[in-house]
Amino acid sequence: MKHFRKLTIPYIVWCVIFILIPLLLIAIYAFTTGGNEVRTLNFTLSNFAKINEATYIKVFIKSLELGFLTTGICLAAGYPLAYIISRAPEESQDMLIMGVTIPTWINMLLRTYAWMNLLSDNGIINTLLGMLGIDPVHMMYTNFSVILGMVCNFMPFMIIPIHTSLRKMDHSLIEAAMDLGANPFQTFRRIILKLSMPGVINGVVLVFLMAISSFVIPKLLGGGQFVLIGNLIESQFISIGDWNFGSAISLILAAIILIALRLMKKMDLKEVEEN
Amino acid sequence: MDKIIELKNLTKNFGNQQVLRGINLDIYQNEFLTLLGPSGCGKTTTLRIIAGFEEPSGGQILFDGTDISKVPAYKREVNTVFQKYSLFPHMNVYENVAFGLNIKKMDKALIETRVNRMLKLVGLADFGARDVTLLSGGQQQRVAIARALVNEPKVLLLDEPLGALDAKLRKDMQVELKKIQKEIGITFIFVTHDQEEALTMSDTVVVMNEGTIQQIGTPIDIYNEPENRFVAGFIGESNIIDGIMKKDLLVHFDDVDFECVDKGFPENEPVEVVLRPEDLDIVKPEDGKLTGEITSVTFKGVHYNVMVKTKYRDYRINTTDYWEIGTPVGLTLTPDDIHVMWKTQY
Amino acid sequence: MRKYNGFWARLYIAVCFAFFYLPIIVTVIFSFNSSKSLSHFTGFSLRWYSALIEDNEIVQAVYVSVTIAVIATIVSTILGTMTAIGLSRSRKVLKDAILSINDIPILNPDIVTAISWMLLFSSMGLAKGYFTMLLAHIGFCTPFVITSVYPKVRSLDPNLANAAMDLGATPVQALTKVILPMIKPGIFAGILLAFTMSFDDFVISYFVTGNGVKNISIVVYNMTKRINPIINALSTIVIVVIVAILIVVNLTPRIVEKRAAARRAARDAAGAAAIESSGDSGIYRPSEHRHRRIGAGALIAVLGIALVAGSYAAAKKSSSSSAGAVRELRVYNAGEYMDLSLLDRFQQEYNCTVIYETFDSNEMMYTKLLAGDQYDILVPSDYMIERLIKEDYLQPIDWSLISNKDAIDPNVMDKAYDPGNVYSVPYFWGSVGILYDKTVVDKKDLKDGWNLLMNTKYKGNLYMYDSERDSFMVALKALGYSMNTTDEKQINDAYEWLIRQRRTMDPIYAGDDVIDNMISGNKAMAVVYSGDAAMIMSENDKLDYFEPPEGTNNWYDAMVITRDCRNVGLAHDFIDFMLQEDVAEQNTAYVGYSSPVKAVYEKMQKGTYAGIDAYVPRTGYGKDEIFGYQDTDIKKLFAQLWTKVKAQ
Repeated sequence: MKHFRKLTIPYIVWCVIFILIPLLLIAIYAFTTGGNEVRTLNFTLSNFAKINEATYIKVFIKSLELGFLTTGICLAAGYPLAYIISRAPEESQDMLIMGVTIPTWINMLLRTYAWMNLLSDNGIINTLLGMLGIDPVHMMYTNFSVILGMVCNFMPFMIIPIHTSLRKMDHSLIEAAMDLGANPFQTFRRIILKLSMPGVINGVVLVFLMAISSFVIPKLLGGGQFVLIGNLIESQFISIGDWNFGSAISLILAAIILIALRLMKKMDLKEVEEN
Repeated sequence: MDKIIELKNLTKNFGNQQVLRGINLDIYQNEFLTLLGPSGCGKTTTLRIIAGFEEPSGGQILFDGTDISKVPAYKREVNTVFQKYSLFPHMNVYENVAFGLNIKKMDKALIETRVNRMLKLVGLADFGARDVTLLSGGQQQRVAIARALVNEPKVLLLDEPLGALDAKLRKDMQVELKKIQKEIGITFIFVTHDQEEALTMSDTVVVMNEGTIQQIGTPIDIYNEPENRFVAGFIGESNIIDGIMKKDLLVHFDDVDFECVDKGFPENEPVEVVLRPEDLDIVKPEDGKLTGEITSVTFKGVHYNVMVKTKYRDYRINTTDYWEIGTPVGLTLTPDDIHVMWKTQY
Repeated sequence: MRKYNGFWARLYIAVCFAFFYLPIIVTVIFSFNSSKSLSHFTGFSLRWYSALIEDNEIVQAVYVSVTIAVIATIVSTILGTMTAIGLSRSRKVLKDAILSINDIPILNPDIVTAISWMLLFSSMGLAKGYFTMLLAHIGFCTPFVITSVYPKVRSLDPNLANAAMDLGATPVQALTKVILPMIKPGIFAGILLAFTMSFDDFVISYFVTGNGVKNISIVVYNMTKRINPIINALSTIVIVVIVAILIVVNLTPRIVEKRAAARRAARDAAGAAAIESSGDSGIYRPSEHRHRRIGAGALIAVLGIALVAGSYAAAKKSSSSSAGAVRELRVYNAGEYMDLSLLDRFQQEYNCTVIYETFDSNEMMYTKLLAGDQYDILVPSDYMIERLIKEDYLQPIDWSLISNKDAIDPNVMDKAYDPGNVYSVPYFWGSVGILYDKTVVDKKDLKDGWNLLMNTKYKGNLYMYDSERDSFMVALKALGYSMNTTDEKQINDAYEWLIRQRRTMDPIYAGDDVIDNMISGNKAMAVVYSGDAAMIMSENDKLDYFEPPEGTNNWYDAMVITRDCRNVGLAHDFIDFMLQEDVAEQNTAYVGYSSPVKAVYEKMQKGTYAGIDAYVPRTGYGKDEIFGYQDTDIKKLFAQLWTKVKAQ
């Protein structure tokens, strides 16, 4: 049926211009040092060599740490919620999932700003604590505030894929397991958890990706001393003007994510093979 | 034989709907018992209550004399073969079958022996490493059976397991299942809406409708001596006619008196008469007790399904002869062919 | 076995939802707060909503966000749907290739995608602004549409289109009458997804926009430096609109469906008589599918309303800058450095539009210039002006057009960065010092000068300024060096000083957010500019300002005109306007910085800022220096070192 094939042509053109060429540009900038005006094509690895300094390595490590932590918390807190929702009556499920999704529709900056106010030294939480006679807690500009902001922002993206795969699961499988003597805990571990793995992996990848590349939340909730990969890239392009270095860091970030994706895909396949 | 399961006055409500209205049933060891009835009659609900997936709203269920209504499914000594097999897609055939034994933390070597023995029994000896999602319907079904039986339950529950198979395979599996049951020697409780299947396989048939048991009996009893209109209509094809029992051994319908073999009804009692299509003979009009005209002839393979229009009604007759539409004919029957039932109270 | 959950399960759901909705609820409540406070609800008021509508910048931003979202959604839906349908018929190789490429914008972190487009537009020589933002939004929405629609297309019976054509339909008709209706759920999902992604976007918009075009996210981002309850009002409106859209889209089909079902039930109940009287009520009517169309209609209606609202906002904007006037002035100034109501006044008096943007630092401003962003008036600092002059970015001031030139205090004129003030007109001036809480900091510790900031007694209780030159100035001065040094060893010592400070003192690197924080007394000390100190001290009398004996930075900010200024006359009008006595007075009173207009400077010392020494910075002190020009390599060195200090 060849009739509709030509419909793809506009997008193919678009892809080349707006996806492939820009990526190529990043690569070119990353491997040259000509700067922004004169792009003298002298290939060099100096940009990458710069990254190899202790401070920058620390930035990468910190981003990875924060990424893992955020993903871990989202998974630990999000899976139970997804599971509970999947066990609710049908109409309630749709409403509950909508309830989880609505915050993501509201502009992320507005929500982060709201957290800034909540957590500030004389914000509501500290005011309430004051009324209870507790000393104000310094929450802003700390690891805590950044992780809190990221978890709050990203948890729905963990919950929704997990819920989808739990919902699709054939419930008679649970009955079958119980029929064969597995108690609820064993049923969960051997059947439900394993079958919801695709959703879990989906969610983990999504959240991890967003967490390690985020720069707005660390900047607003963490302050100037929170330099993660995203902040590093942003400062190179906006304040410092070293586009070559910035491109090199971006390439490395993209590479990290690609590797993470490959690893996750392998884990998913490995699971299936083992069984 | 001892009773293994007793259902005493089981009722079940789902919201406002009453699905079971008082089920009383004794199930014995080593029997192949079938719950038979149309969709919505409550047979699957009854099965699920026995399995432990539903709690009865009222009544008791006794297993070996003890009330198990509150015992959760995973602690009962029954296993189920599900309608859609419900095999675990992330495990292969071996792991599926071994699941229950793994839960019991049995010795690995012992598990291996048992699983392989069971796979052999169902004819899937070399299938252990196979992906269950790639098996055919019939193979999946056998894995499901193996998975259930390997746990050596006291009772096996089967929820319309043959529904998804094609006609030939179905017939073969009916024979297989019966064979397995005899070999293993445990009680099978089988649920189906297909009366032919029930008659083929069962030792006991329990006909259900609208949450109540209509009749319990052997296949022959159910077929030959239906106790009410529903059973008569559900099992096999029948012609059901309103008549009057003039006296013992004599029934009157369609303006004709017929000799029959039933008795014990009050004189002139209004009754219902059941005539099986294969029992009526088509003869020349002058030789028949009733007369009529052929209105339709449908070829069924094994026989023709012929409709004869008489004065009061259309009769359905199964015969191996071909008849032209419009031919005037007569109908005869022997006293044995007539089965009289009490009139159904509505 | 889907039992409804027990108590603990429901509690957990409640806790999670509380967590998600807490910021939203608090925002909504405080949007009605009668005071500026974000912790005490003093009373119900709609003042922030009226302030919101008055705020042109926000209204403009809403217009931008909404229109771009609508247009991008429409274009990406069409493009994406076309592509999805085409892909389902394409050869496997092409299909896999396109789908993989399609994944790239989805899987790539948005910052990488953002800069890839920034590089693209810069290479293409495309001026950044509304159009580039639109292109970028289409760019990241289309892949999402494709991933929503393609699975639906793939699940269709491949013979459907054939069947239609077998019955005489042209390919186009087969598409519109058969395929499109069947994939509608996928298209709707795609539309919703595209709209959300576009409306919510910040990172990509931030990098690809220019020329003063801002969407809601960018405006909020810029506003986060100061406490601003207007944002709460904006958030509340956004929340209400979004929830309304969701409810309409999800509930309308169900309500109509219920009504149709009730109608049908009533019809059945009426029985045989009804059949006879109404003829063919048993026969299916196409109108029963109305409920689906109503859902679609509701969505389109809402989008339409959004467009109308947006157009109203645009109309309002153009009316506020008077009909027919196309005169535009692009001004790029530091943040929190001007009373914005003066802009409104200027626009009205001079019948023009001012596009006003702010930068966080001179360096950021310079980078933007380098990237090709265009402005008419800049307000850089001394050393940056020196650089801009050297690199030929500026044009000379025509002093004959500055009627207020004699009002300028001669003491702020003719400095080394621009001898004779050929290119610049003073804007504000001052020093850098330490703002400290008199009740916390021991007066004796002040003798340490800048090393007060290394006194571990105050660990965790101070703000440093997030600016490389100012922080290095502190370090260099503390070590007794010149802040204009190019000696690499000295620079390195300063770097080590800052690292040590980071490790032992745990400072917070703040920008303009230091203002509200010190007004609230959140920390004991802060490195601030004199003007900010004056403003803060006028609101918190526990604070005092001091300029250390090692010397500090004596700085001057001035207005300059770029070489490619499009309206030189208007630019001079603006500069002259700023020097007007009443304007300068209002500006200095609002911002707190020392005015270059002599009469105003003296007036403030007797009035608004009487007794506040920060308003009268130290002058003529030998150890104070003005920042000088840094060549590119040294500049880069400072930049990278500062990043490293922050990244510790």
